[in-house]
Amino acid sequence: MPRAIKSYVRAIDAMNRLIGRFAMYLIFVLVGVLLWSSISKTFFNPSLWTLETAQFVMVAYYILGGPYSIQMGSNVRMDLFYGSWSLKTKAWVDAFTVLFLMFYLGVLFYGAISSTAYSLGYFGLEPFQFFGDLVMTLVTEGPEAASAKLGYLERSSTAWRPFMWPIKTILCFGVFLMLLQCLAELFRDLGRLRGDDF
Amino acid sequence: MSYELIAIMMFAGMMLMLMTGQRVFGAIGFVGALAGMLLWGTGGSEIPFSAAMKLMKWYPLLTLPMFIFMGYVLSESKIADDLYRMFHVWMGPVKGGLAIGTIGLMVLISAMNGLSVAGMAIGATIALPELLRRGYDKTLVTGTIQAGSSLGILVPPSVVLVLYAMIARQPVGQLWLAGVVPGLLMATMFIIYIYLRARMQPELGPAMSPEDLAEYERISDHPLRLNYVVLALLVLVPLVVKLGVIEAKPAIGVALVGSVLAFVTRGIPAFYHDVFMREKYRLLFSGVLPLAIFAAMMVPFVNGWTSLVESSAIGAMTAFVAAILKGRMNKEVFETSVRSTLGISCMFMWIILAALGFGAIFDGLGAVKAIEDLFTTQLGLSPWMILILMQLSFIVMGTFLDDTAMLVIVAPLYVPLVGALGFDLIWYGVLYTITTQIAYMTPPFGYNLFLMRAMAPPEIGLKDIYVSIIPFAAVMVVALALVMIFPQIALWLPEYVYGK
Amino acid sequence: QSKITWRMQTYAGAALAEHVVKPAIDMFNKIAGDRMQIELYYADQLVPTGELFRAMQRGTIDAVQSDDDSMASPTDVTVFGGYFPFASRYSLDVPVLFNKYGLNEIWDEEYSKVGVKHISAGAWDPCHFATKDPIRSLADLKGKRVFTFPTAGRFLSQFGVVPVTLPWEDIEVAMQTGELDGIAWSGITEDYTVGWADVTNYFLTNNISGAWAGSFFANQGRWNELPEDLQTLFRVCCDQSHYYRQWWYWGGEADLRVNGPKMELTSIPDEEWATVEDAAYKFWDEIAAESPTKARVVEIIKKYNADMQKAGRPYRYG
Ligand code: NA
Ligand code: NA
Repeated sequence: MPRAIKSYVRAIDAMNRLIGRFAMYLIFVLVGVLLWSSISKTFFNPSLWTLETAQFVMVAYYILGGPYSIQMGSNVRMDLFYGSWSLKTKAWVDAFTVLFLMFYLGVLFYGAISSTAYSLGYFGLEPFQFFGDLVMTLVTEGPEAASAKLGYLERSSTAWRPFMWPIKTILCFGVFLMLLQCLAELFRDLGRLRGDDF
Repeated sequence: MSYELIAIMMFAGMMLMLMTGQRVFGAIGFVGALAGMLLWGTGGSEIPFSAAMKLMKWYPLLTLPMFIFMGYVLSESKIADDLYRMFHVWMGPVKGGLAIGTIGLMVLISAMNGLSVAGMAIGATIALPELLRRGYDKTLVTGTIQAGSSLGILVPPSVVLVLYAMIARQPVGQLWLAGVVPGLLMATMFIIYIYLRARMQPELGPAMSPEDLAEYERISDHPLRLNYVVLALLVLVPLVVKLGVIEAKPAIGVALVGSVLAFVTRGIPAFYHDVFMREKYRLLFSGVLPLAIFAAMMVPFVNGWTSLVESSAIGAMTAFVAAILKGRMNKEVFETSVRSTLGISCMFMWIILAALGFGAIFDGLGAVKAIEDLFTTQLGLSPWMILILMQLSFIVMGTFLDDTAMLVIVAPLYVPLVGALGFDLIWYGVLYTITTQIAYMTPPFGYNLFLMRAMAPPEIGLKDIYVSIIPFAAVMVVALALVMIFPQIALWLPEYVYGK
Repeated sequence: QSKITWRMQTYAGAALAEHVVKPAIDMFNKIAGDRMQIELYYADQLVPTGELFRAMQRGTIDAVQSDDDSMASPTDVTVFGGYFPFASRYSLDVPVLFNKYGLNEIWDEEYSKVGVKHISAGAWDPCHFATKDPIRSLADLKGKRVFTFPTAGRFLSQFGVVPVTLPWEDIEVAMQTGELDGIAWSGITEDYTVGWADVTNYFLTNNISGAWAGSFFANQGRWNELPEDLQTLFRVCCDQSHYYRQWWYWGGEADLRVNGPKMELTSIPDEEWATVEDAAYKFWDEIAAESPTKARVVEIIKKYNADMQKAGRPYRYG
């Protein structure tokens, strides 16, 4: 395989591993938030923010940890036939079917971008254009002009009313990482078919 | 396109995709996303993502990583070893006793974790080699471990019942309680079966001789350490609460402070007394730790002091701290538990994410209506016939789907129908759980069968495992039939606890 | 001409929807026949309630029945949806405020700005507390985790209530798993209809609102595509739904207070409850200060209540 592709695979593996290992420890943040929730409820006044915060942490946990879980091979496959195939056959089929997986992730990514644009007050149908515009403005005219482009910032419909864009941004980011990881898996399978394991 | 055609195409498409062996979440997600883009009309491409928000809002899912973590801490840190030895010593002299003891061990393991995998791992690593060494028949042993580990998702806490609750919109607390009596009933039936079988064919499970047990009759080198602070807390806290001196909530505070004190003073001779007794008797106390973990989690929950998700965090924390105190939480155990928890949680969450998207699109395209229509009007079957057909179809699907996939794909189709037919959804949750467990362990294909194969030593072949499971599966079918005919087996406890 | 098909999602779960929306949609489908059919989906069925507005605006869902607050609509009137405290005393106050005092026009303006058609608003039930433990004084509210509307929750938190928002379908479960101590989301009719009376023990007769508004909305483009007669038919069916709720709630509240076997009634003395009412008027002014549109709505609510006060019995007693 071309060297560029090999270094892409290595770089993505390393980055997602790092991010995944960060996400892995979020389990303790989750435990901490929930323990604080029970402590505050038992001894003081219950906190407003614990349940939603725990939900945000959980999303970050599995979304950011997703690519690392692919590296670890945690995602189950139905191995009725798959289990008995040779490595080469597996690589053949995987190289083809991972495109379907990437299609799903692409749709998920589009939805995430669209929903995040909405959370920043963009109500139109061209979310990518909105983000392009936003980034251009930020670069050329500075943060103040960029923030003027934002509309009504979506808040969660709870009494705590946190803004929704941070968690939606994490979702976009995580799904994008997942896409990068799947592309790396595709390259790895193609390499395997050419007798070039990496 | 007609509703029926959409239903058939989406379902067949998903099956086809699954057959390719691509990751389950990718297969499900792809079919859902494609149908959304082609058939929904405007905005169908946004549904897979809105499923992520749905998943986020469903709070009982927070318990999932907690129980998975708890299970890994328990099995990786091997704090169940003493527990196994206890059953071993006390049940050993009976014919088939070690196998009976293994079922007992499985019941306790089940009360401390939410998946069957942990029980399987503990059984395969601790019980299996020991039983083979003692001359037990390999088919009896592997069958016992597989059957016993299936109790993990029936006896609370149970991750599968949490997921079922999410789909059926039924209270988790009631579902958990509904699993208790059927779980214990099934354990009892396993024990009876093993006992009778070993009486008829003693060579399958020879009793341990007094010589084998001699080492346990000696005075133990390890004392039973009685910490005065702990003893005082155990007696005084319930007493003062009972007498009304202080309220329950401040009492928890006192207990917590006392626990810290007990921990700090644990090495100071003035604060404890060591009791040396026969090893056999010392082991009896090894049940205290699992009981304490279970109590730390369930007592505040049942009393309404903490919520379900908070209790799951307390459970995870308690298991973690117990492993540290027992000196079993080394770097390797820590790394494996934390990493495996991420892996398994991600596996679950991504499948649920994909399946929620698939389900919403399937529903919004009218396919759910088509299936309901097929069962109720077109086939013209009676409710019980439909129910039995569903259970059978579960067993068939269990041959090629794994438990989560089955839960998130099939249950959303069946559960509303079961409700519409007038059956109790708490009761059905128990039926569902038992049925899927049967499905995973019936040949030729089953999730548990392959797991067992992976964990067992090489001299045990897939054929041995197949043979071993048949009688136990038969016992489970009988248990299933009993719960179907007498719903009160499942419903009595939740009605007793939650009834006003 | 091919059949038009709409997907509509309501805020209500199946049991409640049986009353608050299904009869109207069944009626619409029966009359429109082969020309148009509306498929009704329940709370969180296709998209989670928090994403409902976005889904409708994008066209993923064609029509929605919800209050402005629960679906987190990105308008200035959101805060008045759900239960804006003490804005009305009776369910008839709501249609009068919308049709005669000018709220319709404001709602129409606000939703036009965000690409959604506001079709019409109707009254919901009063907002009472249903709890596990009895509430007999304001102090009893302290520290209670209560499922309520975001705005009502903001208002109630000054009395020590901890407002919690969860998916509607999970409330019964959450009462049992201990996530919630109570519910301030409806009157007693809904408590019985949706099963909450089975998981709570007490019903507080004081309410923080006598009735407030739920609306029908549609995606603007989809609405414009409808021929005029189908638009009219849809409006008529919405009005049928509003009318159904008028008698169903009004009669249900009285009947279940008197004859309902599942909940014990408790009350907070009027003098003590007056502090909550006074706090509400302060809350109105805080909200009015947030934007000109909100100020206009608060102005109308004040004017209306002053008129009712002057009109005397039976509009207002004392
Ligand atoms: Na369990
Ligand atoms: Na099977």
